Amino acid sequence: MFQIDRFGRQPIYEQIIDQVEQLIGSGALSPGDQLPSVRSLSQTLSANPNTLQKAYTELERRGVTVSVPGSGRFISKDAPRLVIEGMQSFLDEITALSAKLCLSRVPKESVLQAVNTAYEANANGNQPQDQSAQGPTE
Amino acid sequence: MIIAQNLTKRFSDVAALDQLNCHIPEGCVYGLVGANGAGKSTFLRLACGVYRPDEGSITMDGHDIYENIQLKKRFAFVPDEFWMLPQSTVRRMATFYASSYEHFDFKRFESLAHELNLPVSKPLSTFSKGMRRQAATILALSSGADHYFFDETFDGLDPVMRNLVKQKLYAEVFDRGATVIITSHSLRELEDTCDQLALLYKGGIVLESDVGDLKTSLFKLQVAFSGDYDASAFEGLEVLNINRQGSVSTLIVRGSKEKSHALLAAKAPLLLETLPLTLEEVFIYEMEALGYAFETAEGGNKQ
Repeated sequence: MFQIDRFGRQPIYEQIIDQVEQLIGSGALSPGDQLPSVRSLSQTLSANPNTLQKAYTELERRGVTVSVPGSGRFISKDAPRLVIEGMQSFLDEITALSAKLCLSRVPKESVLQAVNTAYEANANGNQPQDQSAQGPTE
Repeated sequence: MIIAQNLTKRFSDVAALDQLNCHIPEGCVYGLVGANGAGKSTFLRLACGVYRPDEGSITMDGHDIYENIQLKKRFAFVPDEFWMLPQSTVRRMATFYASSYEHFDFKRFESLAHELNLPVSKPLSTFSKGMRRQAATILALSSGADHYFFDETFDGLDPVMRNLVKQKLYAEVFDRGATVIITSHSLRELEDTCDQLALLYKGGIVLESDVGDLKTSLFKLQVAFSGDYDASAFEGLEVLNINRQGSVSTLIVRGSKEKSHALLAAKAPLLLETLPLTLEEVFIYEMEALGYAFETAEGGNKQ
């Protein structure tokens, strides 16, 4: 379910958080789905259980998961909404990228074209709920 | 909880450990890194009660560890060179271990040996270095201890074995709240394995931190301004290192990523990018700040 890049610059606990959120975003994990236990995940990934616990704690703090004592951790009702809200940072990235492109004198039409292409290529069946993803240009 | 206070150990006139302080909580995987001769192995031998401190103390739950039999039953030490009885087999060593560890689990020992495919009735003298490490590791894991000390032990193991040993250790940590201390000079290995890291330098701990926090406390900034500029452009940042090529400067900065970014962004840069550092880079710069060029086994400063 999770893929850890041990040689990446991103800390492992952040990788886990990001991947859970991506799986929720894509619909592979839906509210009510159970997450693997820290112990089984630690064994399958050969990863430090304390690190994984930290990732799970953070997911719970964000409200993406809820834990039910005795039965485990589940994706919360609010998770899909929270994940979309969390996508703001990606929009900020688009803004930053657009700023760079603007400074390099790439015409605005080309940037908008690139955004449209990406949306057309990936929008099959998985209609994005928010079409205003074009970053404001500064 | 293992606590070292002003721990000092001298060998003739050389202080291997000098006024070292640290806290190692239960259930943590604690990594000790440092150059050769920094005092890693000395620390482990003090921690498992083989050496007596010259000054200061090292205690577990408030009791001195040196020659404390009750405590030592809870410790299993896997040294870099495994000591064995002459002409013994692994099974004979298991009996030997069981004479000191009253909770030694022979069932677990046999099943681990089977899992690792280790011939328990062949003489240990015919074993390769890696196989001896494996033998020492399964003996430790069967000892019933809940504190495991590894001195450079992952070095001699192949990747498959390494994963297996890690899985076993993690199960111990999770199921029994076991504490693991690992020394190494391979940061990659420790970054991956530990949740707490300490950097030993000249017999003292100069840096102790959560692995996750370490990676986020320092970062790299690439910045360029139009026209000429000097170091005064970076006032207000805690800069550890500047490397300038042409108009582009690469800075290693400590502190908040967002604040630093905002501070420079306000100066209308041509280029401004923040990049995370690898743990290796974090250590290199921390060591440089101490005036020491850290030699890394893996070829060092990756871009």
